[in-house]
Amino acid sequence: MNKHLLNGLYGLLGFIMVSVFAFKVFQPIQVLPRMQISPAFTFTDQNNERLTSEDLRGKFVLYTFMYTSCPAPCYNISETMQEVQSRLGEVQLDNIEVSFVTISFDPDHDTSTALQAYAESVNADTSRWHFATTANKSLLKTVIGSGFETYYEDKGDGSFTFDPSFVLVDGWGIVRAEYRYATEVSNADRILRHLGVLAEEVRNSTGSAKLAYEAAHLFLCYAP
Amino acid sequence: MKLKIIISVFVIILGLAAGVYFFRPHTFHGTVIQSPEPSFDFKLNSADGEVSLSDYRGKIVLVYFGYTFCPDICPATLANVGQALRSMKESQADEVRLIMVSLDPQRDTPEKLAEYVGHFHPSFIGITGTDEKLAEVTSLYGIFYEKSPGSTAETYLIDHTATLLVIDREGYLKLVFPFGVTVDEIADDLKYMLNQ
Repeated sequence: MNKHLLNGLYGLLGFIMVSVFAFKVFQPIQVLPRMQISPAFTFTDQNNERLTSEDLRGKFVLYTFMYTSCPAPCYNISETMQEVQSRLGEVQLDNIEVSFVTISFDPDHDTSTALQAYAESVNADTSRWHFATTANKSLLKTVIGSGFETYYEDKGDGSFTFDPSFVLVDGWGIVRAEYRYATEVSNADRILRHLGVLAEEVRNSTGSAKLAYEAAHLFLCYAP
Repeated sequence: MKLKIIISVFVIILGLAAGVYFFRPHTFHGTVIQSPEPSFDFKLNSADGEVSLSDYRGKIVLVYFGYTFCPDICPATLANVGQALRSMKESQADEVRLIMVSLDPQRDTPEKLAEYVGHFHPSFIGITGTDEKLAEVTSLYGIFYEKSPGSTAETYLIDHTATLLVIDREGYLKLVFPFGVTVDEIADDLKYMLNQ
């Protein structure tokens, strides 16, 4: 009996190890990491209305950072946003809303009027795509620089040096993906794929399936 | 021989069930954050002088943003954390600190804050600072807040994000509890983190 028991225990241990290994290797469930809390803010948008981080709760939000007088093509930032905006129908989002927020780090020139003109120039669907900034430059630096970890610096001649990036935030206000040009030029395909992964997690991560999703987070089964 | 095999199979199935039960991953009641960097360190004023988040490195720190005039959600959350700590062993509770950051420095002096948080648990710490400093700290912890006018100039309320944040021993933001988390849920997650 002892021999049977020992074999059984070895079998159990082996089964658990093989299951964990298989889960890690085959990644039947993929997720996006919960990287950090997205910064809170109160900005003014292109309609001269208040836009707060709280207004965007419950939605997936794709943030980017730029200034409207950035010489074209300006890293194709707005073109990428435009492409994601126009191809949103390809993602099964159910009832989850997606918003886009372009934050300007040039409040001296990017007034509400300038932001509105820019929004029109890039054919933004302003029901979901916001252009915002704040005259409080210290808070702006905190939000963009420390919160979204995106570097920018005023060169003093009306232009800025900056690291272009996109940041994807979920409905709980948690940063789920960062797309930094320093590591890989962003493209709409990857962002759209990630929106789909996020939506799938929200849709399926209930009941006992939640445990499988938590295991995917634990074993770092991240969508590429 | 047949009986031995049946008993063996029964024991193995029992072992399998026990193994699955005891080795199942802990399901946190809060949202787990896998931050690659330590959370933003801040320094604000308490009744005993300046307090930094990093002063408590080595302990689990719960950070809550509220104010002493808060009519409902702040006392409810602080009471739950106090009760959760009391439900734990004293040695475990001693490894946990709660820091309440007041969003109302105009009315909440450090002394008033110390007295307020002490009602919920003697280990709680109350801190606050200038509006500029609070704007920075709250932004980086995802806390939105704004004044909501009351019937007189002194009776305003402050609407604020009511999450309870948990920083681990190494200073990384580990968990975000939503408002409404229960005493047992807080205690369960804290005990698990302390045993890790």
